Amino acid sequence: MIVAGCDVGSTTGKAVIMNDHTIASYTIMWCRPRPEETARIAINEVMEKVGLSSLEELDYIVGTGYGRLKIPFANENISEITCHGVGAHWLRNSVRTIIDIGGQDLKVIGLDDSGRVIDFVMNDKCAAGTGKFLENMARALGLTLEELSTISLEATNPAVITSQCSVFAESEVITLLNEGEEVANIANGIHASIASRLVTLVRRVGAKNDITIAGGCAKNAGLIDVLEKRLDTEIVRLPEDPQIIGAIGAALLATERLERSASSK
Amino acid sequence: MTALEELTKLADTLTNPYIERWKEKGGKVIGYYCCYCPEEIIHAAGMLPYRMRATGSTSSELGDVYASSTTCTFCRHCLDQAMRGEYKFLDGLTTLHGCDHISRTFDAWRYGKVPTPYSPFYLRLLDIPFKIEALSLEWMRVQVDRFKRSLEEHFQVKITDEALRQSIKTYNEKRRLLKSLYELRKKEAPPITGAEALGIVIASTSMPVEEFNEQLKKMLDEVNGRDGFSDYSARLLLAGGELDDRAYIELIEELGGLVVTDALCVGLRQFWDLVDEDSEPIAALAKRYLERSISCPRMVDYQRRLKFISDLAKEFKVDGIIVQRLKMCDNWGCDSALIQRRSRKEGTPCLILEREYLMSAVGQMRTRVQAFLETIGR
Repeated sequence: MIVAGCDVGSTTGKAVIMNDHTIASYTIMWCRPRPEETARIAINEVMEKVGLSSLEELDYIVGTGYGRLKIPFANENISEITCHGVGAHWLRNSVRTIIDIGGQDLKVIGLDDSGRVIDFVMNDKCAAGTGKFLENMARALGLTLEELSTISLEATNPAVITSQCSVFAESEVITLLNEGEEVANIANGIHASIASRLVTLVRRVGAKNDITIAGGCAKNAGLIDVLEKRLDTEIVRLPEDPQIIGAIGAALLATERLERSASSK
Repeated sequence: MTALEELTKLADTLTNPYIERWKEKGGKVIGYYCCYCPEEIIHAAGMLPYRMRATGSTSSELGDVYASSTTCTFCRHCLDQAMRGEYKFLDGLTTLHGCDHISRTFDAWRYGKVPTPYSPFYLRLLDIPFKIEALSLEWMRVQVDRFKRSLEEHFQVKITDEALRQSIKTYNEKRRLLKSLYELRKKEAPPITGAEALGIVIASTSMPVEEFNEQLKKMLDEVNGRDGFSDYSARLLLAGGELDDRAYIELIEELGGLVVTDALCVGLRQFWDLVDEDSEPIAALAKRYLERSISCPRMVDYQRRLKFISDLAKEFKVDGIIVQRLKMCDNWGCDSALIQRRSRKEGTPCLILEREYLMSAVGQMRTRVQAFLETIGR
């Protein structure tokens, strides 16, 4: 039984192929303007990695992510909230809270002991606290995203950024630079401003341990460091790339669909 | 065209041929904002009550001259439509203190900022109590009576008790018909969708009631013969304030949910209770409009309201509740949280959705609703 999960987000496309509950291959790519194109390229890449040449060789494909309705070859689409829940719980069944920070939105998902989604909150249509926000801030500081992440850990006296709005926050950053503030302190302040927003959302869904993090921003060590301090708890890391949790969940749900239809026959 | 199509299409435009014909015959139209305005008074004066909405609005720039970003977008779009003269079919407007947003945008009318077809334009702010008790019921009766007298005086008409009694009967008939429509939605395979039901209730507030009743009877015959909808993943109750956009419910229903009942302003709350036909008409109207079994969140009887919604959920066998609220709406901000807490306690999943008057951020809404329906997993 060979299945795929394809997660077309706002910024990156991810695909995972699973063979009988084992991850056979995965890929992460920057989005093309059209979600159909992103999906097509991502699925071709993962198929190539395991020597598949035709979509027909995949028994079932579940699409998810912001572009899930535009994945032409998917058998079904399932929301990224459900997929993240399934993926994270499969990787670590102690997980009860998932923070997913994508390119343009962020979600906090609460799970029950069986991994079912019991609650979720999302940010509103705005870049506050998302990957887009970090990209803007890094640009204002003349850093890459990786540099922004690591320099933040060297902060001695974190700056305070009060604005949640990415446009206003950028002008705060520029003001701080003009005042001669250390870049490390500013970087830390940027992460703290996202973390404070996340703390609210995490507490809103109950903040049950274990808490984990997924999505592209989960690769930002500076952000996680601040977040752990603010939440006063460890954020557990999943044993796979945090960007593919949704795609893994989609592939698992594809497997489940096949198993269910086989048992009902 | 079927009667169902004839009625639901009225929801898609601000005015319609029924209103145009009414105006051509010299009839007057009085706008009102909220389900606390006794339609029977307007009807007994020989006029057409029209529930205010801003259908067709695409921006609120003229409304925003007087309203701010902390005013809800329903009020801002209504004011914008008013500033543009889109309500030129109105001969008067009445509102009440439902919330500050309505009252303050009504001020733009009171201070002459809105172009009107004649001057001084008929404007009336009804003073509706917030509590339900003997004293406030008496005050309500006084208000209904003053409303009646102000219409009589302004338009030089006489509203007789006989006319009032007839209006009450006609509106009660409308309410009974709408209730029988909702009764059909209790079926395992309801013959109409939530989006269609919303369209019908909007139609009931946008055309002469006698013609509406005739059309609705026809429509009930039509849908009785129709195959019901059974391919849904969850039966839903949709609660919340002002919603007059069928596309909003269509989006929920495209994702597999079926809205089988509601607690909406332009919905069940508009028509649920009957007026006593045997008592003195003004007192009967005061009692019905004040003591309604499901109040607006402006009223303080929240426990009664919450119980009504929870009973409704059981009666219509819903799998989940969605509460939609306009951003900046304080009334529904509190009630949505209370509804969610109670429904979760009772084991019914509940999702709160914030929205703007014009449908926007459809992608985010779709993700939220789809994820919610997936968690119900019927």
